[in-house]
Amino acid sequence: MKLLGMMLPLLVSLSLLSGCGEKEKFIVYGSPENEKEVEAILKEQDFVDKTTVIQYDNSMLVAVQIKQWDKWKKAKLEKKLQKKFDEKYPNKDVFVSADYKIFYEANKIKKEQVEDNKLKDKIKKLKKLAKEET
Amino acid sequence: MVIVFQSKPSLIAGGVVAGPLEKRSIFSQHFDATYDDERWQMKTNEQGHRKMVEEACEFAMKKAGVKNKDIDYFMGGDLVNQMTPTNFAARDLDIPFIGLFSACATSISSVIVASLLTEVGASNLALAGASSQHNAVERQFRYPINYGSQKPQTAQWTVTAAGYALVGKHHEEYPSIEAATIGKSVDYGMDDPFHMGAAMAPAAFQTIQSHLEQRNQKIYHYDLILTGDLGQLGIKLLKGMFVESGIKSEELKPLRDAGAEFYGQDETFQSGASGAGCSAAVFFSYVIQQMRAGTYKRVLLVATGALLSPLSFQQGETIPCTAHAIEITMK
Amino acid sequence: MEKEQYKQLEQNVTPNPPYFKNVAKAFLVGGLICTIGQAVSLFYMTFFDFTEATVGNPTVATMIFFAMILTGFGLYKKIGQFAGAGSAVPVTGFGNAVISAAIEHRSEGLVLGVGGNLFKLAGSVVLFGVVSAFFIALIKFILVTLGVVSW
Repeated sequence: MKLLGMMLPLLVSLSLLSGCGEKEKFIVYGSPENEKEVEAILKEQDFVDKTTVIQYDNSMLVAVQIKQWDKWKKAKLEKKLQKKFDEKYPNKDVFVSADYKIFYEANKIKKEQVEDNKLKDKIKKLKKLAKEET
Repeated sequence: MVIVFQSKPSLIAGGVVAGPLEKRSIFSQHFDATYDDERWQMKTNEQGHRKMVEEACEFAMKKAGVKNKDIDYFMGGDLVNQMTPTNFAARDLDIPFIGLFSACATSISSVIVASLLTEVGASNLALAGASSQHNAVERQFRYPINYGSQKPQTAQWTVTAAGYALVGKHHEEYPSIEAATIGKSVDYGMDDPFHMGAAMAPAAFQTIQSHLEQRNQKIYHYDLILTGDLGQLGIKLLKGMFVESGIKSEELKPLRDAGAEFYGQDETFQSGASGAGCSAAVFFSYVIQQMRAGTYKRVLLVATGALLSPLSFQQGETIPCTAHAIEITMK
Repeated sequence: MEKEQYKQLEQNVTPNPPYFKNVAKAFLVGGLICTIGQAVSLFYMTFFDFTEATVGNPTVATMIFFAMILTGFGLYKKIGQFAGAGSAVPVTGFGNAVISAAIEHRSEGLVLGVGGNLFKLAGSVVLFGVVSAFFIALIKFILVTLGVVSW
């Protein structure tokens, strides 16, 4: 019984957490020029769960969340996606990341409607962060 | 061979002190004192252990109305390496001393030696007993105290307690030691240090059987046959051995175990209590008091000891065990 | 009584360890500890500049800190008695092994006591962890060289 008392609030909070995630699975922020195209590329990949794409100037930040059981191959899938985008947009500077932190920050940028001049610094910082190793 | 004491030395008084967890013991009302601090306000577990031995001896001496200069010999032991707690207590007590080690059977082996000294006239009063301190013993034989390992149901809990008795010349009003049996070192191939009851039961069986045979007695001649620390499984095994040797289970009523009863039915302690302090604490408080009150007239005290070291079981050796017995009577 | 006969008796009397119950308890508590660990790493990712790749270090440090508090108050051994492998296998169990040895040997001084005995229990975990990591890496290296798998 004691154990159940410990587990119950945990289960409740977990179900609440998953509850809010169901809203939008595909988000693009920034210039909407090729929104449909990007969406199509991402939807093609069945391992992608949620994505947030930020476009500015000539660069693109693609933050994806991979489906739970495909996370074993996270690094490989990330690379695969990166390659796809590089082929599709050879003239653009695309950065793909499957990291939760990048996804979280990308959503924050979208939510806070960060202005263009600040956006550049923020993205730069995120890219640096993503390349950090333990 | 059974030793028969012509002079029938008496257990003049007993002193028992115990630690905080032992307040939960069903025997705790018989103890002279229980303390909230298992280190007795000392810096280390071992120093607390020493203090505990000294206090038990003080209680025994106080009850008999004697001082340490009146005591001729001090016999005792514990389970810590080289028995420093008892050795250091002997330094402060300032009494001629021999340290004895029979693991948890020391509580009785010390009384046997003290009785022999009394029998030959070398001693008027001798202190004999044993002690164990949970933390000091566990850290040596098993894991650090706070290490979160899962103990199996067969494990026993080393008690924090010291029990010492004053052995003196025969007095009618005190329980007297009539005979004693020194046990062999018995090894039935048990090798699990978390299942000591199973290792010790055969030793207890052999000692009890040889004592009864040579004294020409049966189990029903005794009001109580109390083993030291076999635990709940060990006492079952001992009874099982008697049943297999042809004794009816109804006849085994006098057979009880201090370790199995020590903490009552509390499951925190798995199979029950163990340690030199367990048998000493129960023998020299509860048993002496019950005998003086007249509840028991003839009692056989059997202390069992597992003669292992942390090295020996890591090297894959089995656990040899011993059991020593004394027969106490009260007029 | 013969030794063989006694072994038989011993096996009849000794209860079997409740394997299923132990496994279930270990699963629940182990899972709970890992859930707390996940929550801690989400916390670090949300409020600090850590990515999934770098969040491991502060998370492990925090979990060991929790284990230290619990060990110091004597609660971890109680969890361990209940959970068995559930609390021994996660990193908190490793922390508990180190910390309990440190507390235990404080009475023998800092250098010979704590220093000399700190890895009394955890030492073999470190040793065999490193050794097995070496061999796994070696196997993978050979497989990659042969072209069976890629890094």
